[in-house]
Amino acid sequence: MDAKYINPFVVAMVNSLETMLNITPERGTPYLKREGQTQGDISAIIGFAGASVTGSVALSLPTPVALKFYSLMMGEKVYRITNDVQDTVGELANIIAGGAKTELSKEGITFNISIPTVVVGPGHTISHRNDVPVMVIPFEIGKHRFVLEVTMKLE
Amino acid sequence: MRILVVDDSTTMRRIISNSLRAVGYEDIVEAGDGQQALETLEGVSMMLTDWNMPNMDGLTLVKTVRANPALAGMPIIMVTSEGARDEVMEALAAGVNDYIVKPFTKDVLAEKVKGMLK
Ligand SMILES: [Mg+2]
Repeated sequence: MDAKYINPFVVAMVNSLETMLNITPERGTPYLKREGQTQGDISAIIGFAGASVTGSVALSLPTPVALKFYSLMMGEKVYRITNDVQDTVGELANIIAGGAKTELSKEGITFNISIPTVVVGPGHTISHRNDVPVMVIPFEIGKHRFVLEVTMKLE
Repeated sequence: MRILVVDDSTTMRRIISNSLRAVGYEDIVEAGDGQQALETLEGVSMMLTDWNMPNMDGLTLVKTVRANPALAGMPIIMVTSEGARDEVMEALAAGVNDYIVKPFTKDVLAEKVKGMLK
């Protein structure tokens, strides 16, 4: 996956967290996902499809990050992954996917995005829609690491 | 002055409804998709709707509402993560009066609603 297609997702992540949660995550260096590698305790996955591209993006968070994002977004504390926390993580993924879509449309890459699917549980694996390499984009907030996984297949 | 907030995310609905209450709009009803929204329209003076939702999306909802002559003048703001130029143009062509791209700040939302109801 070309680096120029990674940046729209990074920009969308940072912009979404800065605007909705008032925090700026540290960004790490993207790398290729190892087969079967697991990420966070809660993941929201969004598929995308257009005339010349298919792909998916997943936002995967460890529990403390999910709870922090929820409390910053909703202004109330929560101590476990509730339905509302799942909803918030799904909506953040939707906002990030929409932001990346907007950026990529300027490069002439257009597609529709799906409704988010949220998966919960330690050690879960994330399935992407393509048989193509998955890029992992790591971020950090406080001491906690969280990721975006992105696959994109251009026809 | 009843405002209908349509979004499939329950927490996003709460954020939008709370920011409207914070600036004095008390009569707020909510719907989780376009289909539910159509069943919740009675007495509604203004609608804020998401685009990407199950069952019936926001664009179809806007077109359906605008096809009803009695609702042709109702102010509609689309609040969505869809920010690409073509999507914004499509929504405006379907009849939305204003457009807010997620992520948004609460004051932007409140200002747009106030401006539209003036
Ligand atoms: Mg939605």
